Amino acid sequence: MAEKTWENYKEKKRSRPLPLKGIRVLEVCTLILGPAGPGFLAMMGAEVIKCEIPPLGDTCRDMTPFGYLFKGYGPVFTHNNPNKYWLGLDLHNSEAKKVFMELAAKSDIIEENLRPGVMESWNVGYRQIKEVNPGIIYIAKNGFGQWGKYAAENRPSNDGASQGFSGYAWMSSFPGQPPLKSRIYPCDDYGGLMGEMAVLAALHYRERTGKGQYIELSQSENIMRAMSWVWPYQQITGKTAMPAGNRDVSICPADTFYCADSAFVAIAAPAPEEFGGLCAAMCRPELASDPRFKDHLTRLKEDNATEILKIIADWARARTAEEIEEMAEKHGFAASRVYTVKDVAEDRHFQERGFITNVDDPLLGQYHTYEFPVMMSMTPPKVKWSVRAVGFDNEYIMAHHLGKSEDEIKQLYECGALGKWADVPGRRPPADWDGKAGLIVAGDGKDKEQR
Amino acid sequence: MDKEQAWSDWIKERDDPRIAHTRPEALDDITVLDLSHKSFAGCYCSSMLSEFGAKVLRIEPPEGDFIRTCTPYGMLYKGEGLNYLTEGRNKFHITLDLKKPEGREILKSLVGQADVLIETYKPGVMDGWGIGYEQLKEINPKLIFTSITAYGQFGPMSQSRMPDYDNIAQARSGIQSGTGEVMPEGKGYDEYPWAVPTKAGPWIGWAQPATFMAVGILAALHWRWMTGEGQALDVATAEAYARFDDYAALWYEGAGVVAERFGSMDTAAWLYCFAPTKDGAVFLGGLRLEMWQAFADMVGKWDEWGAADWTNLTVFTEKEQQLKWAPLVFAETRKYTNEELVNMSIEYAQKGRLAPITPVVAPVCSPEETMKDANWLDRGIFTPVKDPVYGELIVAQAQHKMSETPVRTKWVCRPVGYNNDQIYSEYMNFDAAKLDELKKAGVI
Repeated sequence: MAEKTWENYKEKKRSRPLPLKGIRVLEVCTLILGPAGPGFLAMMGAEVIKCEIPPLGDTCRDMTPFGYLFKGYGPVFTHNNPNKYWLGLDLHNSEAKKVFMELAAKSDIIEENLRPGVMESWNVGYRQIKEVNPGIIYIAKNGFGQWGKYAAENRPSNDGASQGFSGYAWMSSFPGQPPLKSRIYPCDDYGGLMGEMAVLAALHYRERTGKGQYIELSQSENIMRAMSWVWPYQQITGKTAMPAGNRDVSICPADTFYCADSAFVAIAAPAPEEFGGLCAAMCRPELASDPRFKDHLTRLKEDNATEILKIIADWARARTAEEIEEMAEKHGFAASRVYTVKDVAEDRHFQERGFITNVDDPLLGQYHTYEFPVMMSMTPPKVKWSVRAVGFDNEYIMAHHLGKSEDEIKQLYECGALGKWADVPGRRPPADWDGKAGLIVAGDGKDKEQR
Repeated sequence: MDKEQAWSDWIKERDDPRIAHTRPEALDDITVLDLSHKSFAGCYCSSMLSEFGAKVLRIEPPEGDFIRTCTPYGMLYKGEGLNYLTEGRNKFHITLDLKKPEGREILKSLVGQADVLIETYKPGVMDGWGIGYEQLKEINPKLIFTSITAYGQFGPMSQSRMPDYDNIAQARSGIQSGTGEVMPEGKGYDEYPWAVPTKAGPWIGWAQPATFMAVGILAALHWRWMTGEGQALDVATAEAYARFDDYAALWYEGAGVVAERFGSMDTAAWLYCFAPTKDGAVFLGGLRLEMWQAFADMVGKWDEWGAADWTNLTVFTEKEQQLKWAPLVFAETRKYTNEELVNMSIEYAQKGRLAPITPVVAPVCSPEETMKDANWLDRGIFTPVKDPVYGELIVAQAQHKMSETPVRTKWVCRPVGYNNDQIYSEYMNFDAAKLDELKKAGVI
């Protein structure tokens, strides 16, 4: 039955519409927390116009792992900014502010991640925009929100600051070791995702009532929301929640183990049938009825958990990760090798589901990337096209959305309202660009679906 | 326009969580059935929707869902596990045995009255019970039917017998492998068992896929509002979490490089690391050249380090440069306490040579320090929920501040089957005698 629902899903992506078709988003964001959210909406079909201050634009454009640019752009930037339209608009400029307000009047959603009050100081803040578009949904995302002590101090923030402030890094390290920063930017990405939760809920409310609203989001507060037991535990016990390395203190057994082939394997087997399966796989069926391990709550107690994890660690040490995965499949508990990014990219399952997807971009060419991870049977989200140089779509947006004439557009360039890229890495088009590929000419029928 | 009032005061007057209870709710026209089983992701997903006002019927087997027992160190509070206490919020807790035909008939009646269904059984289980998407859409074509599982509804691994857990999703995502301390040269696992691929402590491998699904559900609701069409949604937890791997996929795709562990430094950014201090550690951030220069200036090294001559931040992100500069930076941060460094950065923003530009300096806190921080307390994240069953309990809340339809946590949790009488009377019109009969038959 599920087979029928999901039959030819990858192929269906080409012919099916996207769920947020017709929703227009105006983005004034840099780095990750800001752009990631509208990136999610863009993969679901929203028309996202990304406004950048020319000629350098988003700080993330040349953020690189050890100096590596992917096809001329920072890979973090490319990852978080698919399917967008690129406007180089200098919001310090008074003519640019007028253009921005004209676009805001025709938009559904505004997203920004500046420090509190900055948009308002430019006269393009929520109080100004709601006058011309009362239905606007406006979200501001940053470290500390719009009010409170830290916001008043005008503190800057980053993902790493939130990993520190929230206790997330503390909880993600080994006992006795210093708090560990994640390799990814969980507070940025999660904040970005949580922002869209509020934005889409607000959209639903607007559909029912016609009312827009203002949303403020702090990345630290949003990662705290995901830390579950930590808060009531501290309240109830009066003790600090402590890190436990790879062991899950709420699920037993659940940990990462070192194998005979020097690989690591994660195992989880807490439910009775799963734990029984693991004990059988270890040829120790008696453990399933051992008084220390007989039920989950008993097994979770510190001494008992330590004991059973030691038994599993010794067993795993004598086997390869692959052998353990096979036994897990046979006995119905969970195990997975700790995948590297190469393992993910080459995984046949991820490929056949289309999670590893092939982008065919008119400027950057073909490449594989990760798809939007919610598969939708009627409206499959997708990565359609890649990133562009600063101000790449200026003419299209000015002519198509605002009906500006060639002369008017020329004047906007002359007064410094509009601008394009600087000739530096991450900002300019690829070196082999022919001056045409990827450009949308207003009214030529090549609309966003094809780009 | 009432511009005379300062922005921060104006907006606080409108989105302070203290007044949330006086505001309408965005999703209070939506009914959700949460059938999730052994999955915190399912519970978290329905929590997200419930905080925006959706009416969630949390459906468990008569003995209660196994996930209730997933609690730190086996600890119970008033009979309940601590994780479940945080994500039982705002829901009506009822029981129903879907293994019994009569239970499935009741479910079908509920489906006829619902907008969204969340389930986490292994693919094929719901179909086998006659309550899969293809069957339920006959009853309710507008239904949004959502599944969160380890491997998803299709693809070669979808028929795996392996269940879904947070630590498995984290391991499978490619993210754990690149996070952790670097193994010192010539050393091994037995000597340094913490210098290994390290997962995040919190259940991000469950909370994040759950949030992705909740976002997908809202997009599907929008589509349904436009077209009247329902649909099925599919999230595989490892895939969802992998999507947060911001640079590794394209680095591998373009250069064949596999992102490796780099401790609390950052492969893709400088200045961007945890740095040791007199009394702990701080995060240092300076993703623009001027911010890195401001840091050098702030610690009195403007001239010695030649900061005025720096022109390109990208050079500093190269590995050799990072390994060269990190010890110099750490030697400076070790001279101060966390508080001193934070205050230095705030002062620098006012008086420094590059003001208002200043490096990001943030303390690396224990969650106890976080929970006592006056800033977060003022913003309502840790305001206890007054619950008639569990008393005053702190669960993180009010993370979205909104001027019209703020989120809220109305109650934290309920014991197994607590709302049976109320909900079955409301939705099924069952009287006391019928409820008693179903209880005796083990259906509810």
